[in-house]
Amino acid sequence: MTTMATVRGETRGDVSVARVEGEIDAANVLEVGARIRSLVTNRSMRLVIDLSQVTYLDSAGINVIFAIGEELRSHQQTLDLVVAEGSPIARMLAITSLDRAHLTHPSLADAIAGD
Amino acid sequence: MFPANGGAPSPRLIEALLRVSDAALATLSVDDLLRVLLDRFAEILDTDTAAVLMLDEAAGELVARAAKGIEEEVEQGVRIPVGKGFAGRVAAERRPVVIEDIDHADIFNPILREKGIRSLLGVPLLVEGEVIGVLHVGTLVPRQFTAEDRDLLRLAADRAALAIAHGRAYEAEQQAREEARKALLRLSALQRVSDAALAYLPLDDLLGELLDRIAEILRTDTAAILMLDEHAGELVARAAKGIEEEVEAGVRIPLGKGFAGRIAAERRPVVIDDVDHADILNPILRDKGIRSLLGVPLLVEGRVIGVLHVGTLRPRQFTAGDRDLLRLAADRAALAIENARMFEQQRIVDALQRTLMPDPLPAPPGLELAARFVPSAVGGTIGGDWYDVFPLNGGRVALVVGDVMGRGVSAATLMAQLRTATRAYALEGHRPGDVLEQLNRLIEPLRPTTLTTMVYVVLDPERESATIVSAGHIPPLLVSGEGKAGYVAVEGDPPLGVSRVATYHEHEVAVPAGAMLVLVTDGAVEVRGEPLDVGLERLRVMAEQERDVARLCSAVARGDATRGPSEDDLAILAARVAYLPDRFHSSWPADAEALGGLRHVLRRWLLRLGAGPDEVYDITVAVQEASANAVEHAYSVGAAAFDVEAMHNRGVVTIMVRDRGHWRPPRGEHRGRGLPIMEALMESVEVERGETGTTILMRRTLGGAAA
Repeated sequence: MTTMATVRGETRGDVSVARVEGEIDAANVLEVGARIRSLVTNRSMRLVIDLSQVTYLDSAGINVIFAIGEELRSHQQTLDLVVAEGSPIARMLAITSLDRAHLTHPSLADAIAGD
Repeated sequence: MFPANGGAPSPRLIEALLRVSDAALATLSVDDLLRVLLDRFAEILDTDTAAVLMLDEAAGELVARAAKGIEEEVEQGVRIPVGKGFAGRVAAERRPVVIEDIDHADIFNPILREKGIRSLLGVPLLVEGEVIGVLHVGTLVPRQFTAEDRDLLRLAADRAALAIAHGRAYEAEQQAREEARKALLRLSALQRVSDAALAYLPLDDLLGELLDRIAEILRTDTAAILMLDEHAGELVARAAKGIEEEVEAGVRIPLGKGFAGRIAAERRPVVIDDVDHADILNPILRDKGIRSLLGVPLLVEGRVIGVLHVGTLRPRQFTAGDRDLLRLAADRAALAIENARMFEQQRIVDALQRTLMPDPLPAPPGLELAARFVPSAVGGTIGGDWYDVFPLNGGRVALVVGDVMGRGVSAATLMAQLRTATRAYALEGHRPGDVLEQLNRLIEPLRPTTLTTMVYVVLDPERESATIVSAGHIPPLLVSGEGKAGYVAVEGDPPLGVSRVATYHEHEVAVPAGAMLVLVTDGAVEVRGEPLDVGLERLRVMAEQERDVARLCSAVARGDATRGPSEDDLAILAARVAYLPDRFHSSWPADAEALGGLRHVLRRWLLRLGAGPDEVYDITVAVQEASANAVEHAYSVGAAAFDVEAMHNRGVVTIMVRDRGHWRPPRGEHRGRGLPIMEALMESVEVERGETGTTILMRRTLGGAAA
């Protein structure tokens, strides 16, 4: 049951966007993580991971987002997240305090605007 | 034969008769017989010499053939013109001649004089009144030959003539036998060409062997087979003997052009006596110094499949016999090639089918799956039926059954492309209708000459529903949990590749727990000469009675829905959404891949219990965290299992996850979040670490306060 998630990348100016769709768990987290990391270039100031289309996320996914966040920080880059308010995913970010480590936005448009 | 003077035959004559009629003589060769006869008559007639000369009609001469006492005659090959000398006169006058004193006679042959012969008696050898030679005897002392002597010699002459005539007949027979033997050799050569065992050689080996045999039979220096590439309208050198470069260079000859091209276009043999004065397209033939060529078409049921030609380095006039033989060889060869080609195609198709059928089927939890593919009982080449099952996001499963009509490699190849493309489009996340539209666009430039139908179903066991899209295919059969079966009313969108602008509609149907979907190709139900509906009804009734997926598929594979083995390929795929009871226990391989499956079963179970979306999410995550621990604790990847036991009692859900490994403190920087997550999501979490494994027990009240 691999390929439960897809990651689509796009660039908006100096912002790299990773739109994740599907379910992230221990079985595919390495693939998803590698795909997200591949979207970051030297020119990116900021990476936005859009989790609004993610239907499942547990500690495996949370761990990888934490790790990516730290990697970016060490390169003076920042990580923002997009999660639907009140969604189970938002609750997961709260439980693990991932939402305190990175800015979260209710929509991709907000995230790109930097709100 | 009897004494001319009448009266009783003398004892000498009787003895002579007995001795020349001796049955043993019949077995001797002509030369041996003549020698024996000369010996015996010289003895009976008491003469010193005896000789046989044969008439060479063309030369008008007598030739010494056998002699006694004057062996030099034979050794020197004495020839005497008919009419000249003693023997010449016997032959010319066709009567006995006596010379009593050689000194006063016209003797042509000097050997007679040199040997000191004094008297001679000669008689003609007659067969059916025709002179074939002369027999004569001589004495070294003057002698007066009597009438009896003359009769005895005539007797000997008749016997000798008979023997010679027999000998000639025997030689003619031997020659006929030799001809027959050669004919037999050719026949056996042909048999060698059509040798059934050849059919089981790989095609290239077969062609090489055929060419060797044909060149040997026709005694030619080269032999080559070019196969027709129908799409390109060209002949392609496929195998060659003596001109191997042809194949290595991949020589291609357009139909109608040059020597081979003409043979194929005109479907008849072509002979080229002298390459220098002919229209030859292929330079290799000239370069090799081939002088003469003979070629015939390879025909299968009147269809040209290639060309067979032979060539010689010396000018040769190929005869009508050569042509007929090559034609015969070509017929046999064409058949053998066609058989081998079909055999090879069969192997390719079998391999394709074997590679492409998902075996074993994936076993998503909470779903019972079975499928069968059976190649047709008649024909011999497989068509393009297929089935496929693969998991999609969210616990959904794609079910596919399709049928590329037509047979052989091209059908199987198209099937393979479609099968792969279906997976690719589906896994990319296309909606079911889009998947078929993409396939339709994909297949269009491939210009399929045959029809392709397929049904694509996305089954969502969690939501207990299915999305069905059909491209001109038999609709799925839906069997309810209570055993009522009916075909799903699916709007018939066109087969693939028929219309570029075709749209494919999605049909949603409820597939409640216990219900079964059955997808088939027409081979599973169709009987020749019977409306398809009759077969569909047979399958419907079968599905109402046999509700086990595996047994249903086996029955259909056996031909129960076609009243005997199917004449066509058949594919059947059956999927049942299993019931999930209030309490269930399941065992999972300690492998991250198992987590997705477990998650979906759990969701289905929780939804059935009436849990809200947040509750479903929280409990699922908590169980996953516990399971992920179990996977990490396993002694070795893939070798162990963990158990999940889920219970529901009066709104309280209790889940126990148990592994058989040792608890390990979290390793790595971003680890150790599992337990806090579980504790945050559930009302209670108990972890029990023992010698034999770790057990995590979690509880949550449904409809209660969220964590």
